[in-house]
Amino acid sequence: MLPVLKQQVPLPSGAVNTALNPRADAAASTRHSYLPDFTASPNVLVLLVIAQTLAFMLSLMRDYPAGGYLQNLGQVSLLTLWLAVSSAWLLALARPLFAGFSVALSSALALAIVLANTALTSEVVYWFGQTYGDQHLTGPASIFPAQRGVSLLRNLLIALVVTAAALRYFYVARQWQQNVEAAAESRIRALEARIRPHFLFNSMNTIAALTRSDPKAAERAIEDLADLFRASLGKPGEPVSLEQELDVARVYERMEQQRLGDRLKVDWQIENLPLDMRVPGLTIQPLLENAIYHGIEPLDRGGVVTVLGAMTDGMLTISVTNPVAPAGQHRKHEGHQLALNNIRQRMQLAYGDRGIFEIEQLADTFRVRIGFPLPA
Amino acid sequence: MMRNGLHTVLIADDEAPARARMREMLVDIGGWSVSGEAANGADVLHQCQQQLPDVVLLDIRMPGMDGLETAAHLARLPVPPAVVFTTAYDEYAVNAFDAQALGYLLKPVRRERLLRALEHAARISRLQVEALGRENPELGARQNIPVTKLGMLILVPLSNVLAFVADQKYVRLLHYTDGVLREALIDEPLKQLAAEFVSDFVRIHRNSLVRITSVDQLAHDDAGHYSVRLRGFPHALPVSRRHLAELRLRLKQ
Repeated sequence: MLPVLKQQVPLPSGAVNTALNPRADAAASTRHSYLPDFTASPNVLVLLVIAQTLAFMLSLMRDYPAGGYLQNLGQVSLLTLWLAVSSAWLLALARPLFAGFSVALSSALALAIVLANTALTSEVVYWFGQTYGDQHLTGPASIFPAQRGVSLLRNLLIALVVTAAALRYFYVARQWQQNVEAAAESRIRALEARIRPHFLFNSMNTIAALTRSDPKAAERAIEDLADLFRASLGKPGEPVSLEQELDVARVYERMEQQRLGDRLKVDWQIENLPLDMRVPGLTIQPLLENAIYHGIEPLDRGGVVTVLGAMTDGMLTISVTNPVAPAGQHRKHEGHQLALNNIRQRMQLAYGDRGIFEIEQLADTFRVRIGFPLPA
Repeated sequence: MMRNGLHTVLIADDEAPARARMREMLVDIGGWSVSGEAANGADVLHQCQQQLPDVVLLDIRMPGMDGLETAAHLARLPVPPAVVFTTAYDEYAVNAFDAQALGYLLKPVRRERLLRALEHAARISRLQVEALGRENPELGARQNIPVTKLGMLILVPLSNVLAFVADQKYVRLLHYTDGVLREALIDEPLKQLAAEFVSDFVRIHRNSLVRITSVDQLAHDDAGHYSVRLRGFPHALPVSRRHLAELRLRLKQ
């Protein structure tokens, strides 16, 4: 006899937390150091401009015999440009090693690299002046020092100040760029979260039917639809009060109730919530929409969607639970994950790692739980 | 079938307001009689066999079996109705079939379009409708197997099916429905069934196809003949040498 082969039944039997980990995005964004790639073209230009400006300033600070200024500017420029280019090249080589380092650590390492490069270059310049020095090279306008120590210290201090300022500039520039990108992203995500077109057309059809059979209900349905689209087409990404967001969800429920009749029941358990708290707009309503579209509509006899709100540990949590149609009784739709991913991303953009977004899929229920941290 | 000199229409939609509106529009148009209303695919199939409507106005998004699969089953009735699909907004559905070959209406439906579609529907051939369910790769495998019982077509959900076993002329369908092992005869070649349900079923013999997750035990006797036992089925089914390797592979996955 062969050993008995045991086969797993394909139905998920326990809690399966899907891999929608909000930390994944955050980790990706900090993996790269804030230091830019200095060999990329706009950054090279910035560095060359800084180096040349520095050379002008250094040359202008001294008095020279006739013709000395140009000689000095030439030599100082040569030195600063060389330091800029070689330091940039060294930093570009070292950049992959900085991955995952904190801002302070990578700044200190970058400074150390530039200072070491400066010290080495100063030594070479001193040695060159000593060895090949003549009237032209070592005259009063030249950069070749007579005293080794003083010159080295001066070069290092200048390099320290200028490099620190440049690093600060790149840091601020990157922060600014990230803020702009985050704002643009949250606006796009909010646009995507708008109520789905199928809902509009289904509602229009319901209203068309009600216009004859129940004109009063039709009138109210039009008012509800207007309210919903006012919320949906409003300023995308702007926070609203919890009360407004729950109102939108309730109006949405009323519209769907007209259409689905007895098949839809929503159990609201939302007592004692801070109704004036600000939350990102269109976060709770899409969860209800998703639960109805994927949970209730595929069921012949419908079911109950439960919306549960709670305050725990300085966090407002809302969970939406819907029944799941038995396997094999409905065709798979991909829209499900799309809508949920959108909410997850927007929670991430609004709260970083402080928010909650969890999906729990059991054999016969599907639950999404989101958590809004209270303002500090 | 004509009734009182009028063509008959079955309205199929899971939403009551949508059915009510369609009924009112048909009254407005005149010349058509509503034979009935259905709220899901199985109900459509049932009513079509009893009332023999000329046309079915079929909502694509319905619970259980959707409109596209329902249409594929309808096409195989002895007297199939013409089908006009209705949908509020469903890109997937509208793309899924050739809009030239079959009519579809976008809800809320306009009266003129409804009239034009009803007239057009009468001209759609049975073959075109059948091809829809059979050959469209976007639709994937059917979720229900049509079975004739006492002269009526009923549907067995695929998830209830244990195995398909070919006999001389027919294929025996072994299925658990309402907790009881049942058997039905179907008239579809095993080869086609094997291709359609390849993701859940595996061929173990020239004449049988079994659900992978129902396989309980693979055994062989002293003579080296292999057989499988299925959970919930009392008899062992023979496994041919030719299909042994694939069966083992699928069981491991």
